[in-house]
Amino acid sequence: METLAHIVNGFSICLQPINLWYTLVGCFLGTLVGVLPGIGPAAGIALLVPVTYGMNPASALIMLAGIYYGAKYGGSTTSILIRTPGETASVMTCIDGYAMAQNGRAGAALAVSAIGSFIAGSIGVVGLTLFALPLAEMAIEFGPAEYFMLMLFAMTSVASLTGKSLAKGMFSMVLGLMLATVGIDLQSAMPRYTMDIVEFQEGISFVVVVVGMFAVSEVFQGLEMLLRGTAPAVIRISGKLWLTREEWRRSIGPIWRGGIIGFIIGVLPGAGGTIASILSYTTERGLSKHPEQFGRGAIEGVAGPESANNADTAGALVPLLTLGLPGGAVTAVLLGAFIMYGIQPGPLLFKEHPDIVWGLIDSMYFGNAMLLILNLPLIGLFVRLLYIPRGILYPLIVAISAVGIYSINGNIVDLYLMILFGVVGYLFNKADIPIAPLVLGLVLGDLIEQSFRQAMNLSDGSLGIFVGSRITVVLLVLTVIAVLWPLIAPRIKALKTLPATGPED
Amino acid sequence: MANRIIVGFAVILAGLYLYATEQIPVVLLDDPLGPKAFPRLLGAALLAIAVMLLLESLRQKKAGDTTPTEGSAQSAGWRHYWVVGALTIWTSLYVALFEWAGYALSTSIYLLVLTAWFNRGRWLSNVLTAVLFSFVSYGVFTKLLAVSLPRGILPF
Repeated sequence: METLAHIVNGFSICLQPINLWYTLVGCFLGTLVGVLPGIGPAAGIALLVPVTYGMNPASALIMLAGIYYGAKYGGSTTSILIRTPGETASVMTCIDGYAMAQNGRAGAALAVSAIGSFIAGSIGVVGLTLFALPLAEMAIEFGPAEYFMLMLFAMTSVASLTGKSLAKGMFSMVLGLMLATVGIDLQSAMPRYTMDIVEFQEGISFVVVVVGMFAVSEVFQGLEMLLRGTAPAVIRISGKLWLTREEWRRSIGPIWRGGIIGFIIGVLPGAGGTIASILSYTTERGLSKHPEQFGRGAIEGVAGPESANNADTAGALVPLLTLGLPGGAVTAVLLGAFIMYGIQPGPLLFKEHPDIVWGLIDSMYFGNAMLLILNLPLIGLFVRLLYIPRGILYPLIVAISAVGIYSINGNIVDLYLMILFGVVGYLFNKADIPIAPLVLGLVLGDLIEQSFRQAMNLSDGSLGIFVGSRITVVLLVLTVIAVLWPLIAPRIKALKTLPATGPED
Repeated sequence: MANRIIVGFAVILAGLYLYATEQIPVVLLDDPLGPKAFPRLLGAALLAIAVMLLLESLRQKKAGDTTPTEGSAQSAGWRHYWVVGALTIWTSLYVALFEWAGYALSTSIYLLVLTAWFNRGRWLSNVLTAVLFSFVSYGVFTKLLAVSLPRGILPF
């Protein structure tokens, strides 16, 4: 009953004109970020964190979350029109969305991804409303050992699932954790790895790392592609921006299923929108009576994955809000933003700041509706952004990034670091090393070290505490499975399919 | 090839990190584990990962000498590293001038050169973009959003 009161109170908060305005601004910026190449939701949110300093936390978080789910709407636009996913979760949309655009049904593809995103996004928010509190109440029992194991599980799943190689994912994760150790040690007050640079004493800001690795490196890569002449061309929208009755009938099933798949996958760490959309795509192809149409412009292949990757955002907020545990790069940046406002997500969040958390969740109902309204009539406007010459757009992104970074501390060292991490991100991309585990390691580093030390203090230095309760044992088993998954998965697949050509990948 | 470089880098980094860890001064406080324990764990983990990477690259070599995907993608990339090198140097110069010349001026110059390089031939739109963006954004950020940006040698 008390929960119901909090949910209703959340509506009264998110319906305040100022918060509705910030929901709209967030959704608008998110769509922008999704459409623009070179800047994704992680960098977009990180760049705006400093601008939101003076705002009250509820409004700021409502806006930042709006960027997160708004970017998913925008991401589909570029997939459909230029076969370039605005962010990785839209990869599957490229296949049939681009094919539909080539068949002259770009309007229908854009419309179905907006409608699907709206319905599935709303399914996701309902799921978030229902499941957040029970999970938070369970997590309240967690001690430092449980927390340590939980974070270890989350990070190893991200490291092992986001890239092609387990070792590279782990490499990225450990680098992130190492970066987090730079600065004054919280318990002993000793400076670590600061190399006598005063600016390093407070640690390396995650905003700098995220903007460098996600925005600046994208710009470097984009400009390189431009010189090589491999940048893709834009298909112009033709035909009506609506679905025929037949297309509509074919889309409803995939939208519902995608919504449910997306939410469930979203809750799991590491998997994220990309896997949700792949799963939805293969499900739809499996269920379809015309699987041969997939890849040639089947509307189910757009409706399903787009819905799945939107429901995923709400799913991903479940562990973030209830456990303080991000499952990917964007939620890691959101966690960083929460912490900067002095709010620690986790089981206590629902007790200490019910107004903020329910205001945020409830705002997503309205945000999804706003995005539908923004995206259908304004799609023509957003598409124009794609016509901005890349040679102008990319340099502007660096300048915007510089403003964003400089405004945090007014500090030149941060700008050099931004360039450094831009180069690192570029090299990571070239070497196929995933970036998300590094960001996650950096954001969770302090927390994971503190809980490790607290747990060891409690146990008088015995590692036994990490297998001391049922929860830690379960988490340990899950972590081991996550680590071994890339080795197990191909075997399971091989067992399922007929023994054909042997090890291909 | 790339994998070997990562392995080498990981080993060197782990070595440096572990060395730096031992340099952290320790005061005996009510903190039995101290500031070095967790970093030592990380250093050891990085070494273990280097071994994993080495094994992975050996296995790849054994399994897929015939699949040139990695090699070809990379050789195309190697040739263009100079672009990124030049961009890095130019962006660093921009940062070096950022406070001295001020945001608006340094950003104008930075954008002008890059657009002249990557959006070749369209002088008018390049100059307009570079100058308008720099000065308008300076105005918006410093006057409207109260974000402080360096004024530099310009009087406003």
